[in-house]
Amino acid sequence: MIKELEKIKEQAIKKIEEAQSTDLLEQIRVEFLGKKGKITEVLKKLGTLPAEERPKMGSIANEIKEIITNSIQEQYQIILEKEIQKKIEEEKIDITLPGRTCGIGHMHVINQVMSEITDIFIQMGFQIASGPEVETEYYNFESLNTPDDHPARDVHDTFYVKPGVVLRTHTSPVQMRVMEKTKPPVAVIVPGRVYRVDNDASHSPMFNQMEGLLVDEDITFADLKGTLMYFVHKFFGEETAVRFRPHYFPFTEPSAEMDISCTVCKGKGCRVCKNSGWLEILGCGMVHPRVFQYAGYDNEKYQGYAFGFGIDRMAMLKFSIPSINLLFDNNLKFLEQF
Amino acid sequence: MKISLNWLKEYCNIPVSAKELAEQMTMLGLEIESMEEPGKEIENVFVGKILDIQPHPQADKLVICKTDIGKGEPLQIICGAKNMKAGDKVPTAIDGAILPGGLKITRRKMRGIDSFGMMCSGAELKVEEDSEGLLILPPETPIGEDIKKVLGLDDVIFDIEITPNRGDWASYIGLARELSAYYNIPITLPQIQIKEVEKSVSSVSSVTIECPDYCPRYAGRVIQNVKVAPSPDWLVRKLLSAGQRPINNIVDITNFVLLEIGHPLHAFDFNKLNENRIIVRLAKENEEIKTLDGELRKLKANQMVIADAIKPQALAGIMGGADSEVDDNTINVFLESAYFDPISIRRTARAHNLLTEAAQHFQRGADPEMVLWAINRATALIQELAGGEVLQGILDEYPQKIERKFVKLRYERTGKRLGINIEQNFQKSILINLGFAAKDETEREVNFIVPSWRHDVTLEEDLIEEIARFYGYDKVPNTLPKIRQSSAVFDASFKKIHNIRTLLVHKGLTECYSWTFSNPEIMQQLKFPDNYLNMVVLQNPLSKNLSTMRTSIIPNLLATAQKNHLEDTISIFEIGPVFIPDDKNILPEEKQKIGILLSGYANPRLWCYNERKHYDFFDLKGIVEDILNMLSITYRIEGSEFPLFHPGQSLKIKNQNKELGYLGKISPKVAHELEINENTFIGELNLNDLLNIPLKKKVYKTISEFPSTSRDLAILVDRIIPVADIYTSLKTIGEGILQKIEIFDVYTGEQVPKDKKSIALGFTFCSNEKTLTDTEIDALVNEIINRLQKQFDAQIR
Ligand SMILES: [Zn+2]
Repeated sequence: MIKELEKIKEQAIKKIEEAQSTDLLEQIRVEFLGKKGKITEVLKKLGTLPAEERPKMGSIANEIKEIITNSIQEQYQIILEKEIQKKIEEEKIDITLPGRTCGIGHMHVINQVMSEITDIFIQMGFQIASGPEVETEYYNFESLNTPDDHPARDVHDTFYVKPGVVLRTHTSPVQMRVMEKTKPPVAVIVPGRVYRVDNDASHSPMFNQMEGLLVDEDITFADLKGTLMYFVHKFFGEETAVRFRPHYFPFTEPSAEMDISCTVCKGKGCRVCKNSGWLEILGCGMVHPRVFQYAGYDNEKYQGYAFGFGIDRMAMLKFSIPSINLLFDNNLKFLEQF
Repeated sequence: MKISLNWLKEYCNIPVSAKELAEQMTMLGLEIESMEEPGKEIENVFVGKILDIQPHPQADKLVICKTDIGKGEPLQIICGAKNMKAGDKVPTAIDGAILPGGLKITRRKMRGIDSFGMMCSGAELKVEEDSEGLLILPPETPIGEDIKKVLGLDDVIFDIEITPNRGDWASYIGLARELSAYYNIPITLPQIQIKEVEKSVSSVSSVTIECPDYCPRYAGRVIQNVKVAPSPDWLVRKLLSAGQRPINNIVDITNFVLLEIGHPLHAFDFNKLNENRIIVRLAKENEEIKTLDGELRKLKANQMVIADAIKPQALAGIMGGADSEVDDNTINVFLESAYFDPISIRRTARAHNLLTEAAQHFQRGADPEMVLWAINRATALIQELAGGEVLQGILDEYPQKIERKFVKLRYERTGKRLGINIEQNFQKSILINLGFAAKDETEREVNFIVPSWRHDVTLEEDLIEEIARFYGYDKVPNTLPKIRQSSAVFDASFKKIHNIRTLLVHKGLTECYSWTFSNPEIMQQLKFPDNYLNMVVLQNPLSKNLSTMRTSIIPNLLATAQKNHLEDTISIFEIGPVFIPDDKNILPEEKQKIGILLSGYANPRLWCYNERKHYDFFDLKGIVEDILNMLSITYRIEGSEFPLFHPGQSLKIKNQNKELGYLGKISPKVAHELEINENTFIGELNLNDLLNIPLKKKVYKTISEFPSTSRDLAILVDRIIPVADIYTSLKTIGEGILQKIEIFDVYTGEQVPKDKKSIALGFTFCSNEKTLTDTEIDALVNEIINRLQKQFDAQIR
């Protein structure tokens, strides 16, 4: 009987190991362990054995039953694993195909740069101000210490709407509008469109400027330098060199122009910087006492600085855009690059 | 302004190299536009004397010259020029010489005969624009001298941009004054020697100033029996280096003195002045003068002229008159040196569009104390170069003495403004070096007398700038200010507009940025209503197409669509101002608008989309709804009668009675006219009005803990019934239990009668208090059905 059981065991294990599907395994289980299975059949004969052998034979039979059960279980796991592998294999896709999207759009490069610049100044504590683009001569010139007979007006090729009304030639008139509205402290930046009668490869009749104005009791020329240096380092990178040169603006005194080391040649000299290694990017200075007078600010008590620069130029430098006219041409092949 | 370094060095001995000087001038506020060394490339070109000229046996157009260059045997040079004769001195490039542009000269055979060099024209040496024949040098030029030295090519020419406040810089002596102050070196002014005859100038002429406010000072001299002739080479070369054309010795001298000292002078032909006298006066209305440029100019009563006893002979300080011009026949000269009021000169120069050199100097403010120096300098030169007798004395009328200004400096203010303490003595020495004189000095402050040439200095801040310039802007530290915020808000919409911009970009649209000018004709062509045609008009537009300010962004977007018509999909927007004239205000109203345009395919050509779908009305409507929802704006929709649009596919958006915007499909007719895709959808929203609407306040609503139940219903209604009406009507059912109505299908076509449409509606019911029973839901569905039948005559399918 033991021999018979051993034989059944070997038979079963062989079949189990050969089985390749879970269905087959179930058949094998029924064949050997089922109610009418081979082991059961053998055990039915247990009664024919002498009483003292029965417990021993019973436990052997149960042992074999367990072995077969475990073996089926193991094989079941193996098959399952294989079937999952197979399924995975079948479901494999080309992950390099592009994803399903209509794509995101493109913010205009001027507004990307505008937003980056305003963020830098807002973090420093400035807030945004705005003013009209069609402006009175009073705000655009006169209140900025540039009366009608002032030679400085020659550099502003102004669009006229009617006597006394112009398209603003710079964002500076907003300085005066802000100062009229509030007493110091004032800390504003003014991004906006400005206009000059000029249209060629390097000039657009409409372009964009950013104005800054900071007025309080102790704002110094050193603060002006520090603020603009901080801005340049944030926007163009820490390695950019900065230089302030004396210049003239009717609405600031002392006045300066700021150069940065050429972003193309890093200061070595190239065509972009006319071999000087420097790029002129900004005009600035301490607010002129006469401007304070127009604003009704006490020049003895308050002092402040103002600056203004071209946003388009910043964008052109940052993205190596060769001509300002590309910015306003609305060619999708240009707009979609940024 | 072009400045020759060699010439500048005649007035002060600059102690640094040209490169260092350029850098230092830049840091003093003299912006160097360019720096050129004209003779940089020239090598081995000398003064040669042509000894002999013989015809070339093989070539009619060539000659064989023997030229002595002072070294060794005379050179045999073949030459094609014709303007020279034996004995002439010419620039001669020897074997191995280099000319501008890098051209190398070598010994070579020309038509079989050796040529050992080349004789040069002015153009070949780049001293003339173009030239015919060789450059013939003056006979006294020493043979063998380096041509760079002879022609002044061993020089550096700076092109300097002079800011409008510093007219005093616009001359050699003005620049030398600044540099001598900075480098602390002496300045050398030319010696002036005049031999006057006994006859006094007042015996032959007189000066009367009738308008002293316009002309505070006028000086004149008379020089008799001059010989008008071409100027000598040194003078011609100096004028050429400044970009000026030589005329004759008298005129050239006045121009030279202008370059040297910055003081404009004018020479009249004395004999052509009626009664030989000068009256400085305002013109009579409509009085006429023919100026030196040949123009007959009509004058206004506020324009100053220099007249003789009868008529104007010069537009004062701007341009002389043709009738009293110095020419080859002039014998007696009346020389003028004056100080005119800058504003009057500027007004007149602008009125006649005549911004001459003289006008530029006077409008920036000449030096009233330089009047006599300048006239004497010119007189001495005339006597030297044109001979003649200088009558004794100067007619110097100075009815309104220009007093020196005083400006007070409080030393501590310098530090307070600049943010760095500069020692008092240093502050003072800077100003003294610049020609300021200290007066009424105390320990803390000092009154400075401003030099007569510094019209730009009127305030303490101007002195502080002078100190900062000489101290060095680069030595001022860089500090970060403590920024105190004001509580005022100056632009509340910037951030919100930027959020809209970001939303649209994330939805796949590309932002455009157009000029805000517009073409009124296009507005008409696009059938914009009349209120859009009332535009801000420019008086001096760039062109007719750009002659007004836009009242809508739509024409810009359509232009962009036209420009990019080869793209198969266009989805763009632009945010910016439009300008609406306002009769009640001097300035127009400026409104921020957003325009959106969709055209072409809505989805990309991509493996995962079965087919490409064209943009339709609802793509654009969806985008606009997203903007309105992002801003939490309540709005309603009405049909639009905008002629630009397809009448069946357009709408306007309203809040109360305010129109917030409109959108629609472009009318097929306009699409045809503009040659753009018919499937083009455009919308425009008025951002100012949108952002001014008070926001719907958001309040938390309880989230039900009980399950919700859904029911679907398909109905058949008349085709013309708007779904929105059905939606609005059903919304009120169920007192909050009907939580959601979905319109998940709308069908018209073969399956339904021609004038009907089938609508599939999904309803979601949920209560905050209990789980709804079937009976309760059935009751609500019945209510819905009843209402649909009653109000819309709906058939339930
Ligand atoms: Zn460079």
